[in-house]
Amino acid sequence: MTTVVKTKDLKPEPAAYSEAALRNNGAVIEYCRTSMAALSGSTAGVLGLTSLYGFAFYIVSVVVLYIMFMVKTGPNWRKYHISRQALLTNSFFASLCTYVLFWTFIYGMVHVRKRSMCMACVCSARTEQQHTMQ
Amino acid sequence: MASSLNKMIIIVGFISLFHSAYSAAQHRSYLRITAQEFTGLPLDIVVQAVTSLFAVMWGVLNVAGNLREIPAGAELNATKWDTQRNLPSFYIFNHRGKALSSQYIPASSKAELENLE
Repeated sequence: MTTVVKTKDLKPEPAAYSEAALRNNGAVIEYCRTSMAALSGSTAGVLGLTSLYGFAFYIVSVVVLYIMFMVKTGPNWRKYHISRQALLTNSFFASLCTYVLFWTFIYGMVHVRKRSMCMACVCSARTEQQHTMQ
Repeated sequence: MASSLNKMIIIVGFISLFHSAYSAAQHRSYLRITAQEFTGLPLDIVVQAVTSLFAVMWGVLNVAGNLREIPAGAELNATKWDTQRNLPSFYIFNHRGKALSSQYIPASSKAELENLE
């Protein structure tokens, strides 16, 4: 008869964490995530990204923020975060809403809005164009 | 010192981002005047926008605040034994020992206070 050792029983001892420190770190990370979503949304709007390119840009900026967190904490990230993966995935869709808000707003400001142009510029551009067409 | 540097990074990055947005708008209006199709922004605007985005992100990350160590004992380990024993709730400022002093003037008793009125 063989004895089966369940892997469940071999769990490491639970570690005690300081509640206040956890909450402080969570607040700092949330602040960074919100700023990142707003800023990268604005940049996506400036660049005039549309459809899936915009969402791809969001994912890229999330990953860049994650890398920046890792660079900041260095190899001993266990002292500051319980899980490294949660840093990447936490509140992903909540920040996505912020991102889309800023993306559409800045896109409208930069690329869609018709600004009043001075007539001289229009005339010079038109004549230039006519010259090139001739 | 490092904090002011990060604030400078944020401010410069924001200005740069705003400048690239303005450049993009200018480019768009130029295309509209010359009746050309929009295919994409020039590379320099793209590079400026993305670089300033990363700069501002890095600045915000450093300005946001310091991360604290999460293990429960981490902050208790830093306190010394002298401060460990220091309990402000148990401070005593007023006790019966002062009645032994020769200059001690006893407070008026409750019965005397009642007779005054």
